Amino acid sequence: MTNAPNTPEAHGDPQAPSPDQTQLRYLLPDVCRVHLGSHGALHVTVRDERIYGGVYAAYAFPVAHPDKYVSLIYSAGSGPDVEIGVIRDLDEFPPEQARLVREALGRRYFVHVITAIRHVGWKYGFVAIDVDTNKGPASFLIRWQHDRAVDYGRKGKVLIDVDQNRYLIPDLDQLPSSQKAQFQRYIYW
Amino acid sequence: MSDEKSVLLNRHLPGELAACLRAGGVDPEGAWLSADTDLNLQGGYEQVFLLALEDRILTAAMPGGEWTSPVRILLRRQDIREVRTRQGVGGGFLEALADGVYVEVLAYSNARADVFHKVARKLQDWLTGQPVRTGPEDDVNPRKCAKCGMALEFKGDVCRRCVDRGAVMARVLRLMRPYTGSAVFLMVLVLAAIGLALVPQWLVKLLIDRVLAPEQAGNAALQPGQATWWLLALVGGLTGVRVLESVVGVIKYRLAALVGSQVSFDMRQRVFNHLTRLAVDYYDRYNVGQLMSRVVTDTEQMRGFVNQLCFGLLAQLFQVVVVGFLLFALSWKLALLALLPAPLVVLAAMFFWRYIYPRYYRVWDANSKLSGTLNTILSGIRVVKAFGQEGREHKRFDGSSGYVRDSFRDVEYTVGTFNPSIGFLFQIGGLIIWFVGGQWVLRDKMGLEAPGQAPFTLGLLMQLLGYLGLFYGPLGHLTQLTNWLTQFLTATQRTFEILDTPPQIVEAPDPVRFRPKGGIVFDNVKFGYHRYEPVVKGISFHVAPGEHIGVVGKSGSGKTTLINLLARFYDVDEGLILIDGVDIRQMGLTDLRAAVGIVLQEPFLFRGTIFSNLTYGRRDATAEQVLAAAKAANAHDFIMRHPLGYDTYIGERGAGLSGGERQRISIARALLYDPRILVFDEATSNVDTESEQLIQEAMVRVTAGRTTIVIAHRLSTLKNSDRIVVIDEGRLVEQGSHEDLMARDGLYAKLVRIQTELSREPSVDALAGGKTREAAE
Repeated sequence: MTNAPNTPEAHGDPQAPSPDQTQLRYLLPDVCRVHLGSHGALHVTVRDERIYGGVYAAYAFPVAHPDKYVSLIYSAGSGPDVEIGVIRDLDEFPPEQARLVREALGRRYFVHVITAIRHVGWKYGFVAIDVDTNKGPASFLIRWQHDRAVDYGRKGKVLIDVDQNRYLIPDLDQLPSSQKAQFQRYIYW
Repeated sequence: MSDEKSVLLNRHLPGELAACLRAGGVDPEGAWLSADTDLNLQGGYEQVFLLALEDRILTAAMPGGEWTSPVRILLRRQDIREVRTRQGVGGGFLEALADGVYVEVLAYSNARADVFHKVARKLQDWLTGQPVRTGPEDDVNPRKCAKCGMALEFKGDVCRRCVDRGAVMARVLRLMRPYTGSAVFLMVLVLAAIGLALVPQWLVKLLIDRVLAPEQAGNAALQPGQATWWLLALVGGLTGVRVLESVVGVIKYRLAALVGSQVSFDMRQRVFNHLTRLAVDYYDRYNVGQLMSRVVTDTEQMRGFVNQLCFGLLAQLFQVVVVGFLLFALSWKLALLALLPAPLVVLAAMFFWRYIYPRYYRVWDANSKLSGTLNTILSGIRVVKAFGQEGREHKRFDGSSGYVRDSFRDVEYTVGTFNPSIGFLFQIGGLIIWFVGGQWVLRDKMGLEAPGQAPFTLGLLMQLLGYLGLFYGPLGHLTQLTNWLTQFLTATQRTFEILDTPPQIVEAPDPVRFRPKGGIVFDNVKFGYHRYEPVVKGISFHVAPGEHIGVVGKSGSGKTTLINLLARFYDVDEGLILIDGVDIRQMGLTDLRAAVGIVLQEPFLFRGTIFSNLTYGRRDATAEQVLAAAKAANAHDFIMRHPLGYDTYIGERGAGLSGGERQRISIARALLYDPRILVFDEATSNVDTESEQLIQEAMVRVTAGRTTIVIAHRLSTLKNSDRIVVIDEGRLVEQGSHEDLMARDGLYAKLVRIQTELSREPSVDALAGGKTREAAE
């Protein structure tokens, strides 16, 4: 990769090969190191390859395997983003590196996890929901449409409010029955 | 840098934070842009400010926790190459390309996404040295209600919070205005029907107190002949009332049907007419099913309103009021006692509608899911069998079927318990009247009534019992009144929303009228369908009148979007599109659409004859013109093979014709329209090789003398182009003749080589000059 001044660069040996995009590559701690680089951006150094800067992380199976199969991707400028590889299991990595990846995931997936449902009602032609979340209490409105409350796994739901913010109920069965009944009075599907 | 300040992009820093920054050597007053976000980069809620100064950008928030300084991130202008936004899940990031790395400058939730798209554009202009201006126009967010700030589904949507529900009802009544006479007559009939329903109880009272048991009422016993006459008269009266009730009912039903269906018809017409005026953008926001539901179902609510007025909740409301009044007039003491259970009935009914009725939703959902499962399995039965997954599908079906069983059982159990219980409540009022009223009848029969007080007779008791039935009957339903009213107003509002949605593509007040020659200029055109995703990112090129241009690019590169913009299905976000030097937004819409003929990848034909489809854009075309156009489009021969020729009736979406035949009809249709600019958007993508050849022959004929833009995946389609424009990722990356582009060995040459390798079609090989094949060999 050439280090043109207006394009993002990957540090290290410029002659080193880019990841083969036709093959899935698993990143293991012995060949890959996750660290912070310039301006606090997430970097990934792949041994005998290069240092990738401005990396972000994405789940392959956010519902089924929330701590496994994490894809590390970097923006290659005007072209499509490039996957560096997939971490099979974050626990395989040293805790500090795993923490950095988890933080990157936390930034990318801005989702409120609902811990309790306080009230569900009808307001202005919307379903008005008051909840407690992992980020504090929240009140929001969603349209009463199937695509605004979508399945999350077999038992969960993701609610998308009028601002496109997301609220996750990982498992409806974990809610007290009165809260679940109140919720299902409106979100019955 | 800015002469006017916007509120949105020039947020005032809290004094404490500003002081902290000043202490650290940063003068916040020097910022030409300051915006705040609701998230920090750790994904938590925190107000973080972005400040853009002349030589740097920085983010700042109050120190605390691990932060000892208010400055979170600081980037010098000279180190930044690009500023952009990147969409995450539920939010996004403002990123800067610094030292070769995209650095996350700040995070924002989706509620703030629009602000930071604007910020990114302004910062990018700042970086590239273009003039930057922040002004009040930045404060306008078309996706938020200007009045209350609530998010709207799309630009120009109606705010549901601010909608005046009283005004909705007033508007409904205004719609009824043409039928005022009928509506008044209907109301008279409704009141008459209620009045008539009360008469039989009164006649029964007379029957008992005068004829059957006169002594207990203190009346003299009638002679046998006289009693028979009384009996005949009262039964005749009862019969007359019933007959009259029936007559009033018939007239009421017929008139309600007449008025209701006509009001619904009017509403449907208005909504449909308005829908056809709305821009394509509107149809991107709503799927066809939703719109159909609004036109077909929601407009029917108007008929429902009339029905409710005559036979439903509103009529019942009148009845409860009138009967309640009568009960009190006849015996206020007994009425008070009899109505003691009324609050319980109301509460029970509210409980039903709130907690039990929603269980039916689950039954509907279960049935819908069962149908869906069954449909999927049966439609894909070949795949199921091919993979030997019958057992798995049995389990899936059992799951869906079990959900239906369980949800039905749940509802039936609940309703089965609720109904008998509520039935008992309904009886309590009657039991009270029997007991207390019965005692009063016995007392008065023994002459123990209070002096000067009229005796409480058996007839009166029966009359009260009759009225009580008329009172309690509708009472349970009346608890639905608010529910129905909400549903009605919501559905009506949905239809009003359509009527109130301003067409996004509007004609200029004083449009330029002319018949274009076909010169086109795209001047730095930028556009995105969604706020997060610009599709066209500053494209500029021109097309001379009569020139043939090919447009090439990968899927999603923005080719079709250019055509959508040229036809003004959407308006550009930035830049200009000119036809013969005139901004297309200044042209009359009819002139513009008449100037641009489009042949789509999926030709859409309507149900009707081939002739009516051919003349869709030009109803005055003569038979000779139609024949000539069809011949030129290579459609004539296959049309003539149908026994009914051009009068052949084709089904929905052109059913009965092959893809190639439909496409040739659509070319003939475009040709009859006689546009100066003809666009073929992947017109040969979905047809076989033979059809492609026929279509290409047709294209040569029909494009002669017209400005032609051909978008094609199959590059062989472009062999007749004067010039080829290559689009990639929303930008124009190459343009020139085929030979120029091959010599340049860029993206176009790469695409040609890929297609040659994949298809080995002689036409593509020929296009590549046979070089690739030779090389391969």
